[in-house]
Amino acid sequence: MVRFFLILLLIVSSLYAQRAEDDIYETNCIKCHSKLPVSIDKYFYRYLLKYSSEKDVKKAMFDYMQNPTVEKTIMAESFITRFGIKKKTNLSDEKLKEALDIYWDEYKIFGKLK
Amino acid sequence: MLVLKNSGIDLTKSETRTLLGFSLLYSFLVLVILGVVSFLYYGFQKDLMLQDKRQILQNYSNDLIFRLKDLHIDIDKNDIYPRDERFESAIFDSSKKNIFSTLKSSNIDFKEVIYLSGNYIHFINEPESYYLGSKYVIIEIPDDGIWFEQIRYKIAIYFLLAFIFMMFIGYFILRQVLKPMRDALHLLDRFIKDTTHELNTPVTAIITNIEMIEKDDLDEKLLKKINRIEIGAKTISNIYEDLTFITLNNQIISNNENINLSTVLTQRIEYFNSLAIMKKINFDLDIQENIFIFCDMKKITKLIDNLISNAIKYNKIGGFIKVNLKDNILSIEDSGKGIAKEHLKSLFERYSRFDKSVGGFGIGLNIVSLIAKEYDLKIDIKSEVSIGTTVEIKW
Repeated sequence: MVRFFLILLLIVSSLYAQRAEDDIYETNCIKCHSKLPVSIDKYFYRYLLKYSSEKDVKKAMFDYMQNPTVEKTIMAESFITRFGIKKKTNLSDEKLKEALDIYWDEYKIFGKLK
Repeated sequence: MLVLKNSGIDLTKSETRTLLGFSLLYSFLVLVILGVVSFLYYGFQKDLMLQDKRQILQNYSNDLIFRLKDLHIDIDKNDIYPRDERFESAIFDSSKKNIFSTLKSSNIDFKEVIYLSGNYIHFINEPESYYLGSKYVIIEIPDDGIWFEQIRYKIAIYFLLAFIFMMFIGYFILRQVLKPMRDALHLLDRFIKDTTHELNTPVTAIITNIEMIEKDDLDEKLLKKINRIEIGAKTISNIYEDLTFITLNNQIISNNENINLSTVLTQRIEYFNSLAIMKKINFDLDIQENIFIFCDMKKITKLIDNLISNAIKYNKIGGFIKVNLKDNILSIEDSGKGIAKEHLKSLFERYSRFDKSVGGFGIGLNIVSLIAKEYDLKIDIKSEVSIGTTVEIKW
């Protein structure tokens, strides 16, 4: 019986952890981006267009999130004049990387083409 | 003994080996050079063919990039990779990771622009913008191989022609290099042939005339002198025979017949008896009668002569020579100086001499081995220093 509860506890806690991971991306990225007229996937494909590989794309996003500047943005000038530059992230490096991993997995091309 | 005139010079073993070595080395060098040239020509023709295809492949890749651009824009609505009947293709990201591929040959060389990968031609294009993350766009078309089919025979024919030509040149170079040596050999050959021929007549005259003298009527002093003359003449005659054999060896046609070896052996011992008496050497004979051998008379005589004269020459004064002849075996044992073990191996080499205290050319045993080889005779030499040597001939 004790063992059953222990296993149940383990499953439940892992599910919560999974939700917590999703939450980083949901609460810290989607929440704001959904208010913008440009959907979040369009940013991804703009990064892909310029940086190609997973490593380069993630690095560019990470650098931009930590210190957003006009020079580093991949968005068009008109977009920047209208909406401006985003604020610096308040997430820790680790949390930011986690969020970026979720973002990459969501929209990456690998395995999606037929 | 029949002598074929006007035949070529007999090149000795070491000279033949040198010639063979030169020919092998020369052929190897020619093959390497021709191989390199053929390879360069092949590479050149391959590049020519690839340059020919380059424009078509460039157009294909532009086409694909254009369609990738469309797909990039509409990726949320469409996920079908653009395919084309005319070519296969693949896209790779900047870390050379495969994004999508329909390639048949997966051997990709990112350092090249256009190259052969197995039976396929690959062309790599890098679009200005990385649509769908594709930094490298690879186009693949099959290589029909016609170009290779065409140059294959060309290369083979030219290779063969060039090889034959180079061999001809090599042959002439060799002839030029060998000319002085050939001339010297010719001169020596002719000199020996002439000299030996000129020697033969007077020596034969001396020997025949001495043999005709009634020795019983002579007083002892004169008999001794006559005997010495006879020995000297026989020694010269023997040397003459050896030299003729060596210089004309390859040109002697064997006149084989069934020979009574017992009779011949007895006659030859008789012939050398005067030499043996000079050194007070006793013959101890055990010769079975009517032993026959199928052989050339001159050659078997030469073989016996050399063995007996060696047994006398290297014997001690007052020694003995045991001659045994039985079925298929002839043995000649002497009480001479013997031969050291380390010398036994090179005993039959021409001009090899181990005992310089007595005269000679070092050709005697070489002649014996040549004759033995011709008639498949087995020579067995046992020797102990300062006890004596036993030579056994078996057939």
